[in-house]
Amino acid sequence: MDPSGIFPTSYRADRRVVRTRWQAIALALFMVLMLAAPYLASGRIIAVLNMMMISAVIAVGLQICTGYAGQINLGQAAFMGVGAYTASILASKTGLTFLLTIPLAGFSAALFGFLFGLTAARIKGFYLALTTIAAQFIFHFAVLNLPSTWMGGSNGITVPPAELFGLRFVGETAQFYMNLVVASIMIAGAFGIVRSRFGRAFVAVRDDDVAAGIMGINVAATKANAFLIGAFYAGVGGALWAYLIRFVGVDQFTLFNSIFFVAMIIVGGMGSIVGALVGVFIIRLIQEIIATVGPNIADSVSFLGGDIVFAGMNVILGGVIALFMILEPKGLMHRWNILKSSYRIWPFPY
Amino acid sequence: MVYFINDIITGALIGLLYSLVAMGFVVIYRASKVFNFAQGELVIIGGFIVWYTTMQMGLSLWLSIPLSLVLAGLVGYAIERVFLTKLIGESVFSMVMVTVGLLILLRGLVLLLFGPAVRPFPIIFPLKPLFLGDMLITMNLLIGGIITIIAAVALSWFFNRTRSGLRMTAVAEDHVVASSMGISVKGSIAFAWVLGAILSTIGAMIFLSGKSLTFLASDIGFAALPVALFAGLESIGGLILAGVIIGIAQSLTTNYLDPMIGGSLGSVVPYIIMLAILLIRPTGLFGWRTIERV
Repeated sequence: MDPSGIFPTSYRADRRVVRTRWQAIALALFMVLMLAAPYLASGRIIAVLNMMMISAVIAVGLQICTGYAGQINLGQAAFMGVGAYTASILASKTGLTFLLTIPLAGFSAALFGFLFGLTAARIKGFYLALTTIAAQFIFHFAVLNLPSTWMGGSNGITVPPAELFGLRFVGETAQFYMNLVVASIMIAGAFGIVRSRFGRAFVAVRDDDVAAGIMGINVAATKANAFLIGAFYAGVGGALWAYLIRFVGVDQFTLFNSIFFVAMIIVGGMGSIVGALVGVFIIRLIQEIIATVGPNIADSVSFLGGDIVFAGMNVILGGVIALFMILEPKGLMHRWNILKSSYRIWPFPY
Repeated sequence: MVYFINDIITGALIGLLYSLVAMGFVVIYRASKVFNFAQGELVIIGGFIVWYTTMQMGLSLWLSIPLSLVLAGLVGYAIERVFLTKLIGESVFSMVMVTVGLLILLRGLVLLLFGPAVRPFPIIFPLKPLFLGDMLITMNLLIGGIITIIAAVALSWFFNRTRSGLRMTAVAEDHVVASSMGISVKGSIAFAWVLGAILSTIGAMIFLSGKSLTFLASDIGFAALPVALFAGLESIGGLILAGVIIGIAQSLTTNYLDPMIGGSLGSVVPYIIMLAILLIRPTGLFGWRTIERV
C-alpha cells in the first residue's frame, strides 16, 4: 500500500513501479553503488556479485514462471544450459558478437521451454513439474550422446571471450559491467511484463486456472507463455554464465541447480520480482559462506574430504526450503511488506 | 531368439524392480496426496540402514532385515512428523516443494553421515543365476519380481477393499473433506510414509544385493518415476503392467537399438514414454479421472 499523501490520479500513475520519492532515491543510490562497486570492493566480492547478477536474471525468469503464473518449474537449470550451450557454440564456431549470441541464446532456450510449456495444454499441477524434470534428463542425454563435434559431449566447450569493437571483456571488472547492463535490462523488463496484460493473465491463471479460463483467458497459451518467458530469462542468464566461466559442461546444469533457483524464489517470496532478488542475494551469500568455511571444517573432519561443501550446501538449502514452506510460505518479502505497511500507517493500527 | 527372450525376461524383471520403487511413490500419494520427490533418497537411506545393521553391527541377515525394516519405518515416521504434519490443509504446491527440499536435504545428510565412499552391500539373495536352458536369469531380480507382485496384490486389496484403506483413499481425495468426515489425516499420512520407507528399503535390498552402495544409487528414484506416471498415480495394481512394459522397452532399446546408433538411448526411453503418456493420457493407464469445479 502507498503511504498517505500518494494518490494516483491516472491509470499511468497507478501502474508506476517507483511510487515515492524515497524509492526513486534508493534506486538511484543502489545503481550508483553498483556502478562504483569495482572501485570500492575487492576482486572476490566482485566475483560474487557477478554470480549474483547472473543468478538474478535466471531467478527472475523462474519467478515469472512459478511465482506469477504458478507453474512449478524444476528444469530452470536445463533451460539455462540450453542458453549457455547456444551462446558458446555460436561464439566458438561462428564468431558472432555477444550482442547477438546473448539474445539468440535466450530465444533458443525459450523455444526449448515453450515445447515443455505446450504440454500445459493437456496437463496441469505437479504433473507439469514432472515434464520439466524430464526436460532436465533429456537435456543431459542430448548433450552427452549427440556427436561430440556438435555439443562437445562430456568434454564441454571452451568459450572465447566477449568482444566489442576490439575491446575484450576479460577479467571480473569488465564482465561486471556487461552483467550489470544485461541484468538491469532483464529485470526492468520483468517489472514491465508482470504489470502488463500478460502479467495479469499469469496471476489469474495462478490463482485459479478454471476460473481464469471461464473469464476468457486462453489458459494453455498463458501457461506456455510463462514457460517461454521463464526459459528466455534462463537462456540469457546461461549465456552470461558461459561468458563468465568461459567453459560450459553438462555438470553445471543439474537438477540440483534447478532446485537452488527454486530455493531462491521461495526464500525471497513468491510473486515478487524484488523477492527473487532478495532470495538470490541470501542463497548465494549462504553458498559463498559455505564455500569459504567448508574447507576449514573439511580439514578437521578429514574423512569427508571436499564433498562437505556440496553436502553442507544441500543440507542447508534443503532445510531452508522446508523451513520456509512450513513457517513462512510467502517468503521474506511478505514479512517486509507487513513491516512496511505498519510503519507507513503508524501510529494507527490500520 | 533365445537371447531375445532372455532380454525380454530380464527387462521385465528390472521393470518389476522399478515398480517396487514406484510403489513407494504411489502408496504415499494414495494415502496423503503428496507426491514425494525424495523417493530415491528413501531408497539409499534404506540401503544404508541395511548396510549398517549387517556390515557394521555384524548381525545375521535373519535379524538385520526385520530390524532394518523397523528402522526404515521409524525414519519415514520421523520425516512425516517433522516436515509434513504441519502442512496438512496447505496447498499441494507447499507439500510438493517440501519434498523437493527433502530431496536435497536427505542427499546432503547421507553424504555428511556416510561420506562419498563406495561400500560393499551384503549379499541378501543368492548370487548364482538361474539357468533355464540357454537363458540366464538373475536371482535377486527374480525373487524381487515375486515380492513386487505379492506386495502389489496385497496393497491393492488393502487400499480398495478394506475399511482403513478406503479411509486413506478419502484423504488422497481431499484433506479438508476427509478430516471433516472424522478421518484422521495425520494418521493416514504417517502410515503412508512408514509404508513408503519400508517399501523403499525392500527395493534397496533387491536393487543393491551383492553390489556396491554409494549415494548415487538414489538415481533409481527418478528411473521409477515414469513407471508411476504410466500406471497412473493412484493405481497400485497397474504398476506391475506399467513396470513390465517400461522395463522391456528399455531392455530392448539398450540391447538392439543402442549398438546401432552408438548412444545410450536406453536410459532416456522411460522418460520419452513418460512424456508421451503425459501428453496422450495425463492420468496414466489406471489413474483417477477427476472433475474440476471452480
